[in-house]
Amino acid sequence: TCRVSMSLAEIRAAFTAIKANIQARDPIRTLSILSHPHSLHKVKSADRCCITHQLLTFYVDKVFKHCRTEDSFVNRKISSIANSFLSARRRLGQCHEQNNCMCGEESTEKFKQILANYEELNVTSAAMKSLGELDILLDWMDKSR
Amino acid sequence: LPAPQSISILSTNMKHFLTWSPVIVQGATVRYSVEFQGEYEREYTNGSWIPISECSLTTATLCNITEDISATVAYKLRVRAQLGATSSPWATTKGFFSPAMTSLTPPELRVVADGHHVLVELADMGSSFQFRVLYWRKGQESRVQQKVMKGLSSVVHLDTVEAGAEYCVKAQTHVEAINRSSSFSPTQCVRAQGDTSMWLVTAL
Repeated sequence: TCRVSMSLAEIRAAFTAIKANIQARDPIRTLSILSHPHSLHKVKSADRCCITHQLLTFYVDKVFKHCRTEDSFVNRKISSIANSFLSARRRLGQCHEQNNCMCGEESTEKFKQILANYEELNVTSAAMKSLGELDILLDWMDKSR
Repeated sequence: LPAPQSISILSTNMKHFLTWSPVIVQGATVRYSVEFQGEYEREYTNGSWIPISECSLTTATLCNITEDISATVAYKLRVRAQLGATSSPWATTKGFFSPAMTSLTPPELRVVADGHHVLVELADMGSSFQFRVLYWRKGQESRVQQKVMKGLSSVVHLDTVEAGAEYCVKAQTHVEAINRSSSFSPTQCVRAQGDTSMWLVTAL
């Protein structure tokens, strides 16, 4: 199994500091990227490692870079979170290469759904909404430890 | 306007500071601005730099970068001088800095014999730290016991012993995020008294 130390408390503190600002930039409250149609909490434990790796990659590749704002404080916190995700993704990637983090059908399906939700919106709105839902991911990662 | 010189990073116990030499312009107040760049910025946002507002147009030659240098990735930092509308070239750190490069010092501890009880008091190091405390009865060095606890300030009960027994204690810090530990503190020994409380510390 893969055990990656990730200071969730620090990431959560950085996100909490900008959550209201980020969520205020997301006008579409009726849609969810991470929780539609099923919550992350339904993912089987065997698939958790792979979903975590996919979601870290999703945020690093598709989300953070489209969230730059005019607010330097917000940008600093996003950088702190993004670099922490990059570091964790690298370590999980090493696990993935050693076949300890395999993707089952369920996690593949779940991740396809997240990408589909993301692609329904324009890039900036999708990225801002995804960043605004980071606590959903952090809660799930906390519980899955 | 020349760029600041001797730019370096001082990092101890996960607290990181950027320092540089002042730029001297007779009769004028020179100010400085600091920016940082993490691995994410190099790989995903075309090497963009992020200003640290607390160190923008500052007259200090020191900047606390701890809050921003928070992930275990490679960072670069830069600083420039500013005088009115004139800015110097940027001075950029040579090589990269990562929190994993911080120097870790042993924890400050105080060992107390409170009647039959051996207690240890540890100074707060912050939530990213753990303390690893080793303790043993003097003369029984092969039977060392261990307690691991959060790095927040605490008084910990180590053992209940009979009067006259002498106990020795040493401790180190550990930071899980960088998977590194400090060296051990000097060993401190105390002798358990009867019922009266005794603060007796013998440093070896």
